[in-house]
Amino acid sequence: MQPKARPIQRFAQAVSKCTTEAAVYGQCVFADYNSVHKDKCAKEFMKLKNCYLV
Amino acid sequence: MRLNLPRACRPQSLRSLASPASARRTYAFQAPGGAVFKVFNSRAKWHQKERAAANPELSRQADYLKEEVAMRVCERLLDIKRHFPRVLDLGANSCNIARALTRENPDPDPATPTSPPLASKITSLIAADSSAALLHRDAALPLTSPLNLTRQVLPDDESLPFAPSSFDMVLSSMSLHWINDLPGVLAQINSVLKPDSPFIGAMLGGDTLFELRTSLQLAEQERRGGISPHVSPLADVRDVGGLLGKAGFQMLTVDVEDIVVDYPDTFALMQDLQAMGEGNAVLGREMGAIGRDVLLANEGIYRALHGNEDGTLPATFRIIHMIGWKEGGNQPKPLKRGSGEVNLKDILEAK
Repeated sequence: MQPKARPIQRFAQAVSKCTTEAAVYGQCVFADYNSVHKDKCAKEFMKLKNCYLV
Repeated sequence: MRLNLPRACRPQSLRSLASPASARRTYAFQAPGGAVFKVFNSRAKWHQKERAAANPELSRQADYLKEEVAMRVCERLLDIKRHFPRVLDLGANSCNIARALTRENPDPDPATPTSPPLASKITSLIAADSSAALLHRDAALPLTSPLNLTRQVLPDDESLPFAPSSFDMVLSSMSLHWINDLPGVLAQINSVLKPDSPFIGAMLGGDTLFELRTSLQLAEQERRGGISPHVSPLADVRDVGGLLGKAGFQMLTVDVEDIVVDYPDTFALMQDLQAMGEGNAVLGREMGAIGRDVLLANEGIYRALHGNEDGTLPATFRIIHMIGWKEGGNQPKPLKRGSGEVNLKDILEAK
């Protein structure tokens, strides 16, 4: 029997389906990474989060 | 103003008064009883190692880095034409050095197609580590060639319970980077070595995991507006030479090697680090797991900042190799300053 997947593995699995959203968010932070502040890319992050929660 | 001192007071004549025994000064690198700067939580580190060893299958799978480094450490033994009756492996993890020593054909030189395993140079090896579970992980598996291996569990990582001048060599692979008091441990290594014996070690240092460090910092900064250390502070190459010198080692060799491993995603990287027992054990860290938001953000940022073109994520491990010899015997020593008779400029310009 397959051992039960750790929660983090299920999380990783879910995140791997959202590569486009992750790339958009990553680019947003990367574009100006010397002046990152809280919620700089909140909009992009919410899109990414919505994608993985679905 | 010029003082006209009588001849006996001039420095030259003072120097001749000093007895030869007091001529050699040792470096006082730490005041006795002084506080040791604590960076790592050694108890947390011990738990991580025990926990990693509790899953032998996963732990063996993630052993690729330690096996590789142990092999590279042991390859340095090929250059020393000597037999070592008693050898210590300090911070042995899962006895990776013992496995590397018993490997067939360690010499990559094509002129010698079959070389004996390095273990033939060693009579007995003592593998010492504080984590009993990790040390005994592969105790039931046979080694590929005979080696008199003793496993010894240390009460803690930072004090060596061995008699002075009792080892012909000390090896250490991938564990010194978790030591709080590195100068103290190096001095202890120097003291347990017999005169004119080598210490050969390797540890993580410098820019190890800089990709993970930077992307986690950016992710935390963007998501939570502040950062907490997730990757250890590590010794730099230029510090190591000084540390070895202060511990009393002679004829130092320090060099670095970068090993870059590609991972499919950040979760695979962090899972492997955990299985290696190399998780975060910095004292000032925020306790508990990293939040999901930060992990999610980290995945995207790591890929944008450092990702390879084929979609994999590189992780750099910078290995600092060090060799030092305990003073003694008729070891070659550097000549006195100013005793050179040939001008190097003449030789280099004539070429």
